[in-house]
Amino acid sequence: MKPLVVERVHKQYGEKTAVNGISFEVEQGEIYGLLGANGAGKTTTMRMVLGLIYPDEGKILYHGKPYTKEQLSMLGYLPEERGLYPRVQVSDQLIYLAQLRGMSKNDADVSLKQWLDRFEVPEYYNKRVEELSKGNQQKIQFIASVIHRPRIVILDEAFSGLDPVNVELLKSTVKELRDSGTSMLFSTHRMEHVEELCRNITILHRSNPVLQGSLRDIKKRYPREKVVLRTEGEVTGLEGVSGVIGVQKHEYGYEVGIAEEAAAANILRHALERTTIHKFEIMEPTLNEIFIKAVGGDLHE
Amino acid sequence: MNSFWTVAGFTMKNKFKGKSFLITTLIFVVILCVLANLPYIISLFDKNSDKPVSIGYAIDARAVEGTKIAEQLRNSYAGQEKPAIKLTEYPDAGSTEQNEKVLKDAVADKKIKGYLLFGPVNETGLPTVTYKSEKLLDEKTSQALEQGIQIVKTDIVLKDSGLTDEQKSMLLSPVVINTMQIAASDGAGGAGNGKTEAQQGVDMGFVTLLLMLLFFGIMISGQMIASEITAEKSSRVMEIIVTSVSPLKQMFGKIFGMFVVGLTQIVIYVAVVFININLPHNNSAFLQYDIDLSKVDPLLLVYGLLFYVMGFLIYATLFAAVGSIVSRTEDLGQAVMPITMLSLAGFYITTFSISNPDTMLVKVTSFIPFFSPFVMLLRVGLSNPPIWQVIVSIGILLVSIYAAGWVSAKIYRTGVLLYGKRPSWKELRKAMKAYKV
Repeated sequence: MKPLVVERVHKQYGEKTAVNGISFEVEQGEIYGLLGANGAGKTTTMRMVLGLIYPDEGKILYHGKPYTKEQLSMLGYLPEERGLYPRVQVSDQLIYLAQLRGMSKNDADVSLKQWLDRFEVPEYYNKRVEELSKGNQQKIQFIASVIHRPRIVILDEAFSGLDPVNVELLKSTVKELRDSGTSMLFSTHRMEHVEELCRNITILHRSNPVLQGSLRDIKKRYPREKVVLRTEGEVTGLEGVSGVIGVQKHEYGYEVGIAEEAAAANILRHALERTTIHKFEIMEPTLNEIFIKAVGGDLHE
Repeated sequence: MNSFWTVAGFTMKNKFKGKSFLITTLIFVVILCVLANLPYIISLFDKNSDKPVSIGYAIDARAVEGTKIAEQLRNSYAGQEKPAIKLTEYPDAGSTEQNEKVLKDAVADKKIKGYLLFGPVNETGLPTVTYKSEKLLDEKTSQALEQGIQIVKTDIVLKDSGLTDEQKSMLLSPVVINTMQIAASDGAGGAGNGKTEAQQGVDMGFVTLLLMLLFFGIMISGQMIASEITAEKSSRVMEIIVTSVSPLKQMFGKIFGMFVVGLTQIVIYVAVVFININLPHNNSAFLQYDIDLSKVDPLLLVYGLLFYVMGFLIYATLFAAVGSIVSRTEDLGQAVMPITMLSLAGFYITTFSISNPDTMLVKVTSFIPFFSPFVMLLRVGLSNPPIWQVIVSIGILLVSIYAAGWVSAKIYRTGVLLYGKRPSWKELRKAMKAYKV
């Protein structure tokens, strides 16, 4: 039984279609990436999964069952914009939120202390949220979404506002949760995080799912059209090699656009004749490039 | 049900722990202590004013009649047990102008407060009397002066009538009308066997106090509910909360929690007043003003509590609904304005009608929800409405509370997820449809 199944879900706000027939499945212990430009329908999809709003068509199943109030306790939610009581003690509000999700007060207290220790900030137990820095508030926010040991966690821009050290800390925590069997729905604008964490993704564009599937398959679908070359000396005449459609010179070397993969061999030969090669790589497209292709140039409309 | 209590408990805990709760409660306690002790404090100052006011006059050879009356007046005051006025005689300085100058100097030296001048005799057989002083004549002194002159005048007129002293004092004794408020039919007012004037005064004061507690209790808690909800919304905690607990439970949990907080505050205030009033030094002070609080009908307290609960509920649900559609705390004041106006109207109807609680306006508004908690309490406290009217009013109020709760819950369910500018009714209705509320 899959933890989360979204089936042909459709949502209309008056005249405007917010989500147009999205379907996806999240396995146990999987982080599923939900990508899209601003206003593409990510938040609406997440809100429907959370049961905040009901889909007009289609259905959402949690472990094979439709949405009921009981499901609430196995959901965890980290909203895009930070949501905590600024003037209330960390312990008070996190235990409150855990209690609302059906945890007993004592269990919540134990769980909170474990999490604070995990993040090496046990002294925040008695602090008010407004006394903490933004990054530390984010840690508390994260704890708020997982303190009750949910089986499905929805993370909306989980790593924004964090320094690189804390991003790593949270990322490793997310991986731990994944390995312990928690399913996650993950939304972000940082494509490198998606490449690192997600097995499957959906890219939404103007309410429509435009690209869907496992990250590996999606990348295979896009041809490799870039070669990165780092050499000892200068390489001239790259533009003249057959199959090359563009050359950019960077500090580290050359970035060469190619029309087909066969052209790569020509470039290698051309370069070898002239100088020593330190690095030669036929790049697979990054998710960033795929995203921009899928969502297209009409992002700025 | 569980999360209802969790929300209520959290609301209470935060309020009781907060500094603002402690400070506002303390401030009110201090104010109430002062108010409750006010009769005693006034009586302390009153002891000084028991001393007679000294007023001067001059013997004037050119106005024999006036001087004669002044002497009689002086004797009359001197004969009294606790005279309010002491007349001091100044010798003739030669002319009327000179006399006045002497008296003015005496006023400047603070020997006397003011002085009397006697003019020519007019057709009533008395000279015109003018009182001159730096300050205006206070009521007590002016009454004492008038009474004194009246007595002197009566004496002069009756001197040769051959009436005995008893007859004279009978003539002089003032007419007194005792008023009693009674209940001609059985009503909810509890006037029963009649209320004396003093009792009516106590009732009036007591009802005013109840109405003020009711009004401020409802308004302050209501505002707090609205601002807490808006704060939760603007800090986005709301998004987490409504995904954990049904909005209805959250809204009513919050309202209930705030109700307990408000009630606690009121209980503290009532206890403070009760303790203060029962302090030994206050007993006599209150008796002096004919205030006997033991005569207050306990039924009125029951009604007060009943109308507090219902008034709180009907306003609190509205405040919650308004709080839920506002995204920023700055916009809240403007948004709750209509509710504030509504409650102010109800409250003002009672303040303006407190001495006349039987007008058509009062009768009609005591059935209109939002006004009825105030106005019906006024009627029950100060007049004698038929019991069926009270029951009908409460019935209408209960139905309205249910309706307001239902509408507010719908608005709340939608409002907590709407961000940005305050939605219009049309937008709200559209959103309700979209959210399938």
